[in-house]
Amino acid sequence: MKVAVLVKRVPDTASELRVADDGKSVVTAGLKFVMSPYDEHAVELAIQLKESHGADVVVLSAGPPDVREIIRSALAMGADSGILVDTGQAGELTCRGAARLLAAALKELGADIILAGKQAVDDDAAQVPERVAELLGIPHASVITRFELGGSAATIDREVEGGQYTLELPLPALFTTQKGINTPRYPTLPNIMKAKKKEIREIPAAQLGVAADDLLGQVVTESMTLPRQQRLCRVIEGDSPERVRELVRVLHAEEKVL
Amino acid sequence: MPDKLADLRTIKFLLHEVLQLEELLQYPYYEDHSRETLDMAADTAYQLAHEVFWPSYQDFDREGAAFDGQKVTVPKAMHGIWKQCAEGGWIGPNVSYDEGGQQFPITIHALACFLFNCGNTAAAMYLGLTYGAAHLIKTFGSQELQDLYMAKLFAGQYAGTMVLTEPDTGTSVGDMTTTATQSPDGGYYLLRGNKRFISGGDHDLTENIIHAVLARTEGAPAGIKGLSLFIVPKYRVNPDGSIGEPNDVTTTGIEHKMGLKGSATASLSFGEKGDCRAWLVGELNHGLRYMFELMNMARVFTGMQAVGVASAAYHCALDYARTRVQGRDITSKDPLEPQIAIIEHPDVRLMLLKQRAVVEGCLGLFLYCARVHDQERVVTDPEEQQRLHMLLETLTPCCKAYGSDAAFESIRLAIQCHGGSGYSEEYPVAQMLRDCKVFSIYEGANGIQALDLLGRKVPMKGGMAVQAIMAEIGKTVAEAKELAPIKDLAEKIENLQNEVIRATMHLGMKGLSGEVHLFVCNATAYLEMFSQLAISWQLLMQAVTAQKALDAGSDEVNFYRGKIETARCYAGYNVPHALATAQMLTADERTALDFKPEWF
Ligand SMILES: Cc1cc2nc3c(=O)[nH]c(=O)nc-3n(C[C@H](O)[C@H](O)[C@H](O)COP(=O)(O)OP(=O)(O)OC[C@H]3O[C@@H](n4cnc5c(N)ncnc54)[C@H](O)[C@@H]3O)c2cc1C
Repeated sequence: MKVAVLVKRVPDTASELRVADDGKSVVTAGLKFVMSPYDEHAVELAIQLKESHGADVVVLSAGPPDVREIIRSALAMGADSGILVDTGQAGELTCRGAARLLAAALKELGADIILAGKQAVDDDAAQVPERVAELLGIPHASVITRFELGGSAATIDREVEGGQYTLELPLPALFTTQKGINTPRYPTLPNIMKAKKKEIREIPAAQLGVAADDLLGQVVTESMTLPRQQRLCRVIEGDSPERVRELVRVLHAEEKVL
Repeated sequence: MPDKLADLRTIKFLLHEVLQLEELLQYPYYEDHSRETLDMAADTAYQLAHEVFWPSYQDFDREGAAFDGQKVTVPKAMHGIWKQCAEGGWIGPNVSYDEGGQQFPITIHALACFLFNCGNTAAAMYLGLTYGAAHLIKTFGSQELQDLYMAKLFAGQYAGTMVLTEPDTGTSVGDMTTTATQSPDGGYYLLRGNKRFISGGDHDLTENIIHAVLARTEGAPAGIKGLSLFIVPKYRVNPDGSIGEPNDVTTTGIEHKMGLKGSATASLSFGEKGDCRAWLVGELNHGLRYMFELMNMARVFTGMQAVGVASAAYHCALDYARTRVQGRDITSKDPLEPQIAIIEHPDVRLMLLKQRAVVEGCLGLFLYCARVHDQERVVTDPEEQQRLHMLLETLTPCCKAYGSDAAFESIRLAIQCHGGSGYSEEYPVAQMLRDCKVFSIYEGANGIQALDLLGRKVPMKGGMAVQAIMAEIGKTVAEAKELAPIKDLAEKIENLQNEVIRATMHLGMKGLSGEVHLFVCNATAYLEMFSQLAISWQLLMQAVTAQKALDAGSDEVNFYRGKIETARCYAGYNVPHALATAQMLTADERTALDFKPEWF
């Protein structure tokens, strides 16, 4: 059984983001990058399947050569091998572009189960895995909180507003993981050393037959700003009617939320 | 609560840009490593510090270790921390593959130690002591002892301790009275005596505890030359590795301490029933030498513990100062103008900057020492090895004593930044101050470190050790003088260096002319002055690296400017102080000698 995990390299949400002088991009110098936290749950699930069912776990990521770093982290958690779909320094992939590249690589790989995080914490788009499933023509279930393998199908719980669905999907299928499903393990030092010897296969994006137009360029960033970060508390004094009037005035005229 | 307890970018800066750790990888011992493995280990340690150690920091203080008259229990969260670290290979990352480690540089091990102490210093103690005991067995123990204990200690199946102190004997170890008598068949020794203040001396964390105990055999010479090192398990271990009988080691109590409450500090009674079996490590009467062999790095690690706590406190203070809104700019006349964050007040900013300088300067010095230790491990030229060893020997008391005192002062400032909230146990900084105090006491009280520096290390090999450090400082100064924006800083430090050399020679003459008491009566002030020079030098090294990065066009301008100005701030406030100390020393200040005890 082969389990493929899609992972994305994102800026660590704990690091300080700065907008570049062009007002349209994030300064990457000195920024720490990590595997998107939801993806860690997907990797953990895959490794558990390796432990329980002897699955072969392959980790895939598309992007510039730097994403190798997070593939390596997944290998240090216990995955078997990696595939880097190398886009060179072409720039930020769109969701469509990333999905087409990954789908092409997956078609060649032929996995029984494809896992990914429910969304990446940088753009929060929550699109790539679902697009991949559609491109491959296989069923998919998103935001899963439980996964159970039974023969040629998997039973999962999906989080939905106010409750949960339990579904059974025939394999091959794709699933995206939500936080509660498991606790991702930390790489151990022995596994960090083992990871170094594991293979990361490189596939140049150009080899996958995806048109350049599909990779980039459908989205134009006009401007980027950081949320205003000022925690000011203000007590409005006076008797009640006066205070309410003042509050409405502040919300309308100063804070512009009404 | 702060979003971080240490700055990972600074750590990477120190490892790769300042210390050039990758240069180590050319040596066969490290050939399996790469920048990637080093970074992954550092990143994982950082993660563990924040996600595994830190969440229970305050619980450790409230819950503490407990003794019910029979059993010692550790805070509940300690079990999970231990499991995570043991499974992750964090007890002995630097030891060889054969011994169950991953042959990481000591620098990475030291960094992990720093980070774990940022997260929860009492918890980190258990790891460090276990490493210590295992390291002694690995370096000096017989094959039999190694087979029985070493792998299990490094794997965290057993825990370890270091047992020196007795109820009546602390600093003056040579006066200890615990005795070891050879068994009739000569296979082991029978131990009898009481020990106090034993960190991790008893607990419910592991199935066995392996004590590394100093004791005196019958007829051994008086003083430190008659001490031997023994391995004393809590439970005897059968030859097949299974746990056997209790070994007549009784816990008589644990200390109720000012801080570090999650670490069980036990009083132990060995051989109450006359059947406490002990196995000799190495040769008779060499015990203290073996302990000292380990102690050097243990002392650097103690400084590191302290500065780990200071780093956490600094980040708490920084976070608080950014969010706490109070007062207005001193020139503001309008009482209705919104108040500003306290970080806007220069006095608060200076307090933050002083903390940062201590944290980054000391961390720089510790990692530098660990890096020197790594280098010592791989070079083959005996002369170079000796030079490296002297550097380490001389800087060790500075790391331990200055690190712990400066960390305490730094945490005091962290509390001050918090105002009244800092004094409240609701915020973690009050606990940090309490936790930090002990680092100036154990592993050789700071006064003893000062005597070690001035009385032993300075005269070592005719002053060669100090010369070796001065040569290193000279190199950094020369490099910095070539960089126009930091030339002034280099000159300031060079001036201090000259004055420190002058004061050292002056004191040296006193020592040589037999005025021993005058020679050492200001040893503590000497250590502080010497350390201020060492930290200025370390920060200058960081400033040189930063300036070069800026000159090469790096766009991390804030980061590198921050490094340069931190160095400037430390020197700005500490060099004048150190110069005044040098002046005091050359003026033979001797009140401490002349003031008679009965005048108090
Ligand atoms: C929390 C904690 C954990 C500890 N863990 C351990 C452990 O795991 N194993 C262990 O063996 N011990 C441990 N200790 C004991 C510790 O190492 C001793 O407390 C320390 O060595 C000082 O000894 P003392 O307390 O007897 O003080 P003393 O030796 O009585 O010293 C008191 C003061 O006098 C000064 N002084 C003493 N002698 C001299 C001298 N000759 N010249 C100048 N000044 C002098 C000292 O600097 C100090 O300031 C621990 C202590 C604590 C508090």
